[in-house]
Amino acid sequence: MALNSIWARIRGSAGGPPSFTRTTVLNLIGFATWIPVIAWFNLHVAELTVIDGSSMYPFMNADRDSSLRRDVVLNYKWSPQEDLQRGMVVTLRSPFHPEVIAVKRVVALEGDVIKTKQPYPVATVRIPQGHVWVEGDGPPGSSLDSNTYGPVSKRLLTGRVTHIVYPPKKFGPVKWWEHDRPLVE
Amino acid sequence: MISHLIGHPVRFAISTLKITCLAHLTLSHLLQVSPAQGPSMLPTFTVDGDWIAADMTARLGRRIKVGDLVLYKIPIFASQNGVKRVIGMPGDYVSLGTPGERGEEQMIQVPEGHCWIVGDNLPASRDSRQFGPLPLALVQGRIIGKILPWKDRQWAKDGLLKIDS
Repeated sequence: MALNSIWARIRGSAGGPPSFTRTTVLNLIGFATWIPVIAWFNLHVAELTVIDGSSMYPFMNADRDSSLRRDVVLNYKWSPQEDLQRGMVVTLRSPFHPEVIAVKRVVALEGDVIKTKQPYPVATVRIPQGHVWVEGDGPPGSSLDSNTYGPVSKRLLTGRVTHIVYPPKKFGPVKWWEHDRPLVE
Repeated sequence: MISHLIGHPVRFAISTLKITCLAHLTLSHLLQVSPAQGPSMLPTFTVDGDWIAADMTARLGRRIKVGDLVLYKIPIFASQNGVKRVIGMPGDYVSLGTPGERGEEQMIQVPEGHCWIVGDNLPASRDSRQFGPLPLALVQGRIIGKILPWKDRQWAKDGLLKIDS
């Protein structure tokens, strides 16, 4: 009952025409109630992400030497661990820095044997259960990836980069299947 | 407020969506109460029937220290979560093996951004001794206590003993 009368007062039906302040406050409250929905969507469905750094150069941030402008991608976050394929571009929590989200390419899946690059201490690695091998696209040494921290758990993946949104000339789906990095030479 | 919702299907559906999302974010970012199962944390938690509360603001290993109980995503499984005790933080040296068994003198340094976790019931626990250091990013929360059964309710304690050397 008390709830109803408070509600009626907020709604302005208790008497008098609604004032400007009251309408503004009502609109702001109405907008605030959508924040959890937007946050949930960005956490679990999809989010536009700006790519920092050059670990995916030249695939992303190709103009890094001539521009401060960075690429914007669509990060699809619904069940990123399922149906993973070699070549897909994913976002993950960096194993060394829990607060940092990294963009890498999946190179090998669970059970694969891969020939590693510098500075990994062992020449070949079999990817353990529930893990993947991720690498940046750039030349060796330009990216902190599995060649430094080893296979990463699939649970660290936060999303999959499915589309490039900006710049316009690169707009479109990410053609991950065109990427080919042999597992062993 | 009730009459504002009843009889307006669309308004009702949207309100349900908002409340569900708010509840989900509260459970994943503030406080979660969940049942614990399995023998790995005996005698701290029993095999079945205990409900524990986790402080989810400690996700990503924020403010986690040695001796804390953590709720974490098991790195080798697709969807299971577990509860274990942290015994090493980045830079600490930990034993790879089990005390009293072969291999206990083998030590490693916990790498940057990782922690070393084991169960309180060493013989029946799958933990860092099998899958190695756990990335702190897989830590979802810090266990603050046991809630159910109500007569056994208690705050989580640092179960480690200090040994003078």
